[in-house]
Amino acid sequence: MITEELLINRAGFEENIRKLIGRPVLLIELDVFALPCGCAGITANMRGLEVDDLEVFEPQILPLVKEMAIKLGVKPTVTFARLVPGSSIVASLNWRALCPRCYPEFARGESKMPRPDLYLLQFERRK
Amino acid sequence: MKLFVPSPGHIDSLKELLTEKEKIYSIFMAGSPDYIGTGRSNLASPQLEDVAAQTEYAHKNGVKMELVLNSSCMGGRQLTPEGYRINHWYIEKLNDIGIDSIVVADPYLVEMIAKDFDMDVVVSVLAFVDSPQKAEFFEDLGADSIVIDSNVNRHFDVLHAIKDSVDCELKLLVNEGCLYRCPFRYAHFNFFSHAFGPEPRPNVLDDYYYLKCLELRIENPELIIKSPWIRPEDIKIYKDITDVYKIGGRTHFVDWILNCVNAYYNESYDGNLMDLLDCPKDLKDLYNIPNKSLDGILEKQWKNCKKVCNKCGYCRTLTKKVAQVYSNGGTELEKCSPWEIYAVKT
Repeated sequence: MITEELLINRAGFEENIRKLIGRPVLLIELDVFALPCGCAGITANMRGLEVDDLEVFEPQILPLVKEMAIKLGVKPTVTFARLVPGSSIVASLNWRALCPRCYPEFARGESKMPRPDLYLLQFERRK
Repeated sequence: MKLFVPSPGHIDSLKELLTEKEKIYSIFMAGSPDYIGTGRSNLASPQLEDVAAQTEYAHKNGVKMELVLNSSCMGGRQLTPEGYRINHWYIEKLNDIGIDSIVVADPYLVEMIAKDFDMDVVVSVLAFVDSPQKAEFFEDLGADSIVIDSNVNRHFDVLHAIKDSVDCELKLLVNEGCLYRCPFRYAHFNFFSHAFGPEPRPNVLDDYYYLKCLELRIENPELIIKSPWIRPEDIKIYKDITDVYKIGGRTHFVDWILNCVNAYYNESYDGNLMDLLDCPKDLKDLYNIPNKSLDGILEKQWKNCKKVCNKCGYCRTLTKKVAQVYSNGGTELEKCSPWEIYAVKT
C-alpha cells in the first residue's frame, strides 16, 4: 500500500541523511505529485538541511536519493533541491520525471543552478 | 486566573472551544485582514456579521471576546485620511457589535481607540513592551491592558519594575516558543502584517524567517530551552505580577488549543513541552522535551539568570540532559533517543 511505503521511506531517508550530516534534520512531508503539464514525481520537504550539506556531501547524498526513487518507483529525469534564494536554506528535495514541455527549462545551459532557487543533484540529458 | 484563549476564527471552532468555557475568561481572534490585519499568520477572515455572531455566542456563554488587530506595519496607511477613515469605521463597527477589547500594536491606534471608544484597548506583545518606561508610555496613551514582551518573561526584575510602574492590567503570553531576543522578530512580524493585512499582499513562496528559525533550532535545540515560554507549573511564580495569561496559537486545531487550556488551567502538564509551544509547531515531531523534567528550574536557575550564555552553559548542559529526538517517526520502529546521539561532536 502506497501510504505505508511512503511512511517507511520518509523515516528511512530522514534517518540516512541525519547519520550522514550529523544533525537531526526533519523530513517534514514526503509527497507524491502529478502536475497538469505531465511532470510527476516526489517531493521531500526538508527542515534543517542546508546548501553546504549538499555541496559537501553530494557524493554521499546521491546514492541515497537514487535509492529513494527506486524504492518509490519513480524514474526521475531530474533530482534537485529547492532553495530559499540568498540563504542557506534547503526547502525541499524533488525527484521529477519531466514532461516534454518542462524538459527544455532544465536542459538549457550547464549550470548546477538553472535558477537561483534550484540546485541540481542529477539530470538525465536526452541524447 | 484569567485565561485568554485563541480561536482559529470561525464559529465551529468557537463552539468547540466553549465546551470548556468554565476555564476560559476570554476568546481572542483576528478580524478581517481588509482593514488593519494582524502581525501573525491567520486562518480565517471573519467579516463583521461573523464577528457579531461569534461575540454574541461567547457572551451567551459568559466568555469575553477580544479582536486582535495587531499589525506591526501598515505602511503608513493608518496615517492617511482614507486609512484613518476606514480604520475608524471598522473599529466603530466592532464597538457596536459589543467586542470587549481590541489588541493593537501601533501607538497611534492605542490612543485613537482609547480616546474614541468604550472598548478596552490592549497593547499587543508586538509593541514589545519590555521596560517600565514603555509600559508607562502606553498607559499614558490610554492602554487598559499590556501584553508584556515575552522576551522578558524570565527577567523578574523587569517584570516587577513594570508592575510597580503602571496600574493597568498586565498579561503574560505563556507559550510562545520564539527565539530569545529573536533577530527575525521585527522583520517577521512586519512580513506577516503585510501578508495578513489589506491588499496588496506579497506573494511569498517560502517564509525565510520561519525556515531559518527551524534550521537554527534543529542545529541547536538549546535555543528551544532558552525561549522565554512559561511552563504551566511555573505560573505560580508569576502570581505577584499578574493573574492574566494569554495562550498563543490561533492557527492550531481546537484540540491542540484545549490541550493547552487544560495544561495552564491545571498548572500542570505531563507530556512533551513541545506540545504546548505555539511556535515552532513543526518541531514537535522532532524533539521530545519531557515537561516534568524541567520542574524547579525556573526558580533554581532562570529566575536569577544573567543571560550571559557563553560564561554560564547551564542551558547547554540541560539540553543535553533532557532533549530527545524522535526517529523513524510514523513507523513501527519509532523511538526517542538522546539528542546528543545526533549532534556532531565539537
